Amino acid sequence: MDADLLSDTFVELADTMVADFDVIDFLHMLTDRSVMLLSASAAGVVLADPRGELRVAASSNEAAGLLELFQIQNDQGPCLDCYRTGRPVTATDLSDQDQRWPRFAAAATRYGFRTVEALPMRLREQVIGALNLFRAVPGRFDPADLRLGQALADVATIGLLHERNVRRSETVAEQLQAALNSRVVIEQAKGKLAERLSLDMDHAFVMLRDYARNSNQRLTDVARNFVTSATADFPPLPRTPA
Amino acid sequence: MWYQLAAHAAAAGTRVSLADVCGVAAGSAQLSGGWVAASRNEEPDFVMCATDPVCERLAELQLTLAEGPCHDVLVSAAPVLAADLDDAEFSHRWPAFTPEARERGAAAVFAFPLIFGAIRAGVMGLYRRTAGPLREGQFGDLLILADIATMLLLGSLGDGAVTDPDGDGSWLDGQAPDLALHRAEIDQATGMLTVQLGVPVAEAFARLRAYAYSQDRRLADVASEIVARRLRLDPDPVPDGGP
Repeated sequence: MDADLLSDTFVELADTMVADFDVIDFLHMLTDRSVMLLSASAAGVVLADPRGELRVAASSNEAAGLLELFQIQNDQGPCLDCYRTGRPVTATDLSDQDQRWPRFAAAATRYGFRTVEALPMRLREQVIGALNLFRAVPGRFDPADLRLGQALADVATIGLLHERNVRRSETVAEQLQAALNSRVVIEQAKGKLAERLSLDMDHAFVMLRDYARNSNQRLTDVARNFVTSATADFPPLPRTPA
Repeated sequence: MWYQLAAHAAAAGTRVSLADVCGVAAGSAQLSGGWVAASRNEEPDFVMCATDPVCERLAELQLTLAEGPCHDVLVSAAPVLAADLDDAEFSHRWPAFTPEARERGAAAVFAFPLIFGAIRAGVMGLYRRTAGPLREGQFGDLLILADIATMLLLGSLGDGAVTDPDGDGSWLDGQAPDLALHRAEIDQATGMLTVQLGVPVAEAFARLRAYAYSQDRRLADVASEIVARRLRLDPDPVPDGGP
């Protein structure tokens, strides 16, 4: 594991948490870095919605196949088991004969994944979601990678609760809903931009994110302004603050 | 949850309405009352229904004072769960609203934004005469009811013909359960339709639902087709590659 990449990652995450914090941007960066640091093929963060679902908050890439794999895990799969038990869940050699999670394993192997890990995002006694990692080759993650993976999952939890002083227990529930709604706004913006410029969803996300960073705005604010704008021009004309 | 609403409405001999949502919401979480206010310009300014006069007063108060949990939820796009109004945080946050609310008998107030991403329809407010948090299952139920209230509000504002093609609310029966499992593609397709149809986002979502209803298809399936660019909704919807 690259020590420079590791320290750069933590500096970057810390920077994001301080200035103009956007929770979805933060979680997306975390999934990106998780892939690099842990030699994974893909990563995602799912959050438990009290409506009764595990919902994707961020994903290292937007390929339909990967999103489908998160979707299936509402019924079966490592994320669901991880969420229910609060413990890491591993499968090191997925095959389409898997007995534990037949539908999930069939879909995962079809998309080229052979190893999967789900690491719990825990806050005191509560499991609020999971960091899900995928690899194309079979075989265990080594213990150092798993410790780092769990640390990244813990950082994701801390980042979500960007209020330092979580006094009321309801604050967690409120912040999770804010994050989930931000995600919806960003998906709506991706759709509008993808249609306007004939892009795929992944590319549309990158454009929104890069524009937000370059103009010093929060990703969610850029997304909301774009979705509610009467035009589909992008980049948008500068707005004067309200 | 859907069946509770249908039963509540059937008992009154009507289709499911906002009044049913308020009634079931207050009853399901042992609360004292609930209300829904529609929001036009970022303020929850039009009370659509309320289960008792205390609710009406709490809703009015927040509008006049321009502060309070219903006001906050539209800013933060997150629920506000004020389980105990005597908590110092709330008199600090809402210095004018909190003492007035206490005087009216509200010890706890729970507010939910009625939104789907950038689509904003209003707020749902609930109060209880005694302080105390929601139990975990109750919070989930109220979130689901908030989604249904959002759909009802979106159907009642704007072009009723688009969102309620048979004019009797029956479209909701097929569609509320459709939102049970959230799909990113529904949100993406909504965004795409703002461009394809040249309409604001709330109407784009309404047109998406109306199309799915008219084709007797699941909302998520129609959304997938649109995102995969196998289906466009132009004024005359045709599959891609049509004449």
